[in-house]
Amino acid sequence: MKKLLSLVVLLAAVMTASAQQLPDVKVENAQGKVVSMRSVAPGKPMIISYWSTSCKPCIQELNAINDAIEDWREEADFVVVAVSVDDARLKATAKAMAAARGWDFICLFDENQDLKRAMNVSLTPQSFVVDSNGKIVYSHSGYTPGSEEELFDEILKLKKK
Amino acid sequence: MKRIVLLFVAVATLSSLSAQVRIGKKGQLAGSFETNMIYYVDDSKVGETPEDQFGSHSFLKLDYTLGRFSVGVQGNAFLPVLQGYDDLGVGDTKFFLSKYIQWADKNYEILLGDVYDQFGSGLIFRTFEDRQLGINNSLEGGRVIGRLGKYAQLKALGGRQRLNTKYSDTWVMGADLSLSLADMFKMDETLLSLEGSFVNRMEKLDQDPMLDEYLAGLGQEKSVQLYSGRANFAWKGLSLSAEYAAKGEDMANSAAVAPEKGNAFLGEVGYSHGGFSFMGTFRQLEHMGTHISVYNMGINNTMNYLPALTRQYTYMLANLNPYQVNVEGEIGGQADVNYTIRSRENRYRYWNFHANYSTYYTLNPSQSATGARQRLWQDFNFDVERQWNKKWKTIFLYSFQEWNPYHGYEHRTYVSNIFVADVTYKINRKHSLRFEGQYLLSDEYEGDWAAALLEYNWAPHWSVFFSNMYNIDDMPANEGQAKYYYNGGLSYTYKRTRAQVSFGRNRAGYVCSGGVCRYSPAYTGVNFVLTTSF
Repeated sequence: MKKLLSLVVLLAAVMTASAQQLPDVKVENAQGKVVSMRSVAPGKPMIISYWSTSCKPCIQELNAINDAIEDWREEADFVVVAVSVDDARLKATAKAMAAARGWDFICLFDENQDLKRAMNVSLTPQSFVVDSNGKIVYSHSGYTPGSEEELFDEILKLKKK
Repeated sequence: MKRIVLLFVAVATLSSLSAQVRIGKKGQLAGSFETNMIYYVDDSKVGETPEDQFGSHSFLKLDYTLGRFSVGVQGNAFLPVLQGYDDLGVGDTKFFLSKYIQWADKNYEILLGDVYDQFGSGLIFRTFEDRQLGINNSLEGGRVIGRLGKYAQLKALGGRQRLNTKYSDTWVMGADLSLSLADMFKMDETLLSLEGSFVNRMEKLDQDPMLDEYLAGLGQEKSVQLYSGRANFAWKGLSLSAEYAAKGEDMANSAAVAPEKGNAFLGEVGYSHGGFSFMGTFRQLEHMGTHISVYNMGINNTMNYLPALTRQYTYMLANLNPYQVNVEGEIGGQADVNYTIRSRENRYRYWNFHANYSTYYTLNPSQSATGARQRLWQDFNFDVERQWNKKWKTIFLYSFQEWNPYHGYEHRTYVSNIFVADVTYKINRKHSLRFEGQYLLSDEYEGDWAAALLEYNWAPHWSVFFSNMYNIDDMPANEGQAKYYYNGGLSYTYKRTRAQVSFGRNRAGYVCSGGVCRYSPAYTGVNFVLTTSF
């Protein structure tokens, strides 16, 4: 165990930082068709936000993004992808909720959490900002009212690049 | 303790790197770390404190990707196992390492190692991880997926299933085929698919001479087959799906009277238009509980996924007595209606209305003393969410819950009425306050409860909360139990790293996540949770 950990520390120390590519995992779209993650919005910057029906702060964050989205869109062209990690118990509930809320997002359903696992999300809410080349440039976990602004700031930074 | 310190050093180093790490020209390393620690404090009101007063569950996951190739490991450390995770061994120090190596091409995928997958909704097979519940039933073996464009997909997998912190001697093989008729007939706007699965579970009955003979005498076979067939349709706002599953003779567990055949039907209908949506689910289950090993018990010893199809609450008092599925026999369903009205002039003003109803009954006469069908559960609830302006938001929830404490064996139910008010006030761009007031009204079981929560957020880093639950009435059911259950904590978030420390008294009860519930004994203690990814 000790050896394994020392190895991890060593590995981490010698490596240089760079951006991670969005994994190309299969997920279900709102219609129930299986799509691959990289084909969802090719060539566009994305905000990817993980949620579930039993995660209150996640829904708060999505609502906050949806409230501000028209103002944000005046300044930048991007899409919001809401990934529900609800399993068989609540997937139908999540679909019904997403449909009625009028979220101006691409809604995806990650029923057995394959995408969540591939993106190393251990706690929801977690949100990512991905650039138009599919590189993850920013991420935060947890939600406190107002922290959605950070996501938009990152989108604006991409525009300047 | 030394190990924990080492683990921390590793995590600190990893998380100090601002982004992901790259090895070579194209490869990249990513990962995550999570730890949950509890220090148990003596509290005469909740019973005995565990001997070493400390427990922790930690998870370190590392993935290396190079184009279509990926390889990864996940180490779990239980130092020692937390109270309530009885399957894992109370107070024991345990480690577990899972791993995978994968090639994912456009039309085929090959994975060797720990497989997470599910067939359909999981009625006959699901392997998954839920850290909060201490569930991980991954299949150690291999999986091959082949695709014929958008038209067809065939999946085959096999291996032995993980059971708690070991791999079991139970061998599982399965295959799943899905055909997209809509794509075959070029109906782009429509979803129309037919799917079918098969699973074989094989366990040699040679592990406990006395039990082996008993099981053989009852006719338990070492091999059990499960099948399922599914159809899905969606067009515009309408969606329909149906799934039927059947299972060969099998003992529910070693204490069961005899092996039984099982079956299940799940039907779902959904409709949405504008700000309106409706969802209805019907399900019937009969002897569908499927263990990994007949020699074992506990929530980890499950090969398929049979969640309780009811609303899952986020409010304390609405979650006091959650419904748990009756895999032996159950018939019922639920319905959800959502409606949103948003102001045309101002996006920041809207109403969300949501109503939900669920009810479940026993299926077989043998489940109740009188042979009559008994109600197991009923819940009618509605909530109204109103965003008044940029500053104020309110949610009101009402729930009527009726549950059967005897799982249908006797004709007796307890009723509770729950009221919740949830108010958020955004002081300015960074600061906000949230308050919850809750009341549970009941003449039965533990009587009335009241609860309150106050949360202060300072975006994007800090959050602090305090909550208290109070059991008002003196009833036979709560005799000798604590009256107050308080909890207070502080969390700090920096990008992908979040740390939370809290202190509180926790009530004995079911902790539910997804559709599975784990019984957690009462305790008072300090919790520390750290999660990070890189």
